[in-house]
Amino acid sequence: MTILWENILITILAFGVLYWLLNKFAFGKLFAVMEKRRELVQNQLEEAKQTREQATVYVEEQKEALKQARQDAFEIIELAKSNSSKQAHDLLDQAKQDATRLKEEAVRDIESERTKAVEALRGEIGAFSVNIASKLIEREVESNPAEQEKLIGQYLKEVGSRS
Amino acid sequence: MHDAPIIKLGGFNLDLSAVLMLFVSGAIVFLLCVIATRRLSVENPGKLQNFMEWVVEFVQGIIGSTMDMKKGKPYVSLGLTLILFILVSNLLGLPMGIITEAHQPETIFGHIIEATRTLGHGDHAEILWWKSPTADVSVTAGLALVVFILMNFLGLKNNRKHYLKHYVEPFPILLPLNIIENLAKPIALAIRLYANIFAGEVLITVILKLGFAGIPFMAAWQGFSIFVGALQAYIFTILTMVYIGQMTIHEEGESH
Repeated sequence: MTILWENILITILAFGVLYWLLNKFAFGKLFAVMEKRRELVQNQLEEAKQTREQATVYVEEQKEALKQARQDAFEIIELAKSNSSKQAHDLLDQAKQDATRLKEEAVRDIESERTKAVEALRGEIGAFSVNIASKLIEREVESNPAEQEKLIGQYLKEVGSRS
Repeated sequence: MHDAPIIKLGGFNLDLSAVLMLFVSGAIVFLLCVIATRRLSVENPGKLQNFMEWVVEFVQGIIGSTMDMKKGKPYVSLGLTLILFILVSNLLGLPMGIITEAHQPETIFGHIIEATRTLGHGDHAEILWWKSPTADVSVTAGLALVVFILMNFLGLKNNRKHYLKHYVEPFPILLPLNIIENLAKPIALAIRLYANIFAGEVLITVILKLGFAGIPFMAAWQGFSIFVGALQAYIFTILTMVYIGQMTIHEEGESH
């Protein structure tokens, strides 16, 4: 093991030259690109973070909107339910009213028909009675006119009260 | 023992092997980095770019674990160069060694190789050309010296008051001890790296002498050497950062 100071000097020079050359031709570029790459990654991370935050906000908004929509739907259904029940009630009422009205009309009709029939009957019976009476009268009036007239009056009264 | 191919050049001892291997290591590291950073892309990084970014992040992790990352940012390039250079240097000696055997004085580029100068008849010298540059203590000493100069310079520049005060703490009488502590750092750095790699290469040489029987040992040792090489590069880098951190950053409530 001998130490040559010339070798030491040569090594120092060689190392210095290598350091200078590498700095000039290789490392400068490399460091610059690495810095750029670091920035790129940083930016991308930043962007990803922003996108994630936006997505979170968006999801929250969507949740809110969904909740709102559900509530709306519920309200609409409730409204429809109450509407339909009200409508059914109305229809039922209407039907009841109609039925009552029809019944009343029918009753009125029956009454008027009966009245009419009674009137007609009374007329006819009157006519028949007159007829019969005239036939009887033809036979009997002459013998006892006062008695006959009384009889006819009583007869007609009975018919009238029976109707 | 292998000798280094040293030639005398204008009064200087020039170790051709160290020069060659330093050049090869530096060239490999430089080409690797340039190729890896040739087609950089922000959106769609290639495999090599990913690898380089992994290395950069690894070094940033080392620095971040030893000092505040904001103050440590200028040292990322230094850490990268250190770890890549030392790792490649440590691995270079693993696949092969190139050794020439000289029986008489040999010359290269018109200069005599010093180790073969005194060779007489029947003697021989083995000249080691290809090895890990970090298996040479002078090279690791050079690297450690870079770190030593750098950490003291940075300490003086960025943290002068506390850097100087540190030498006379806790008592002024400990000044020599503190100086020795400071000097021991680069020496420990240099010798740790050198010894690990040199021992690995020596063991490879020894296993080679076993012939074919040594193949399983060689496989195991090569694998282990890769691990040791990476580990030593890591240790050298993290110690550098620890030292720089100690020297330059004064933390409140700390005694230095």
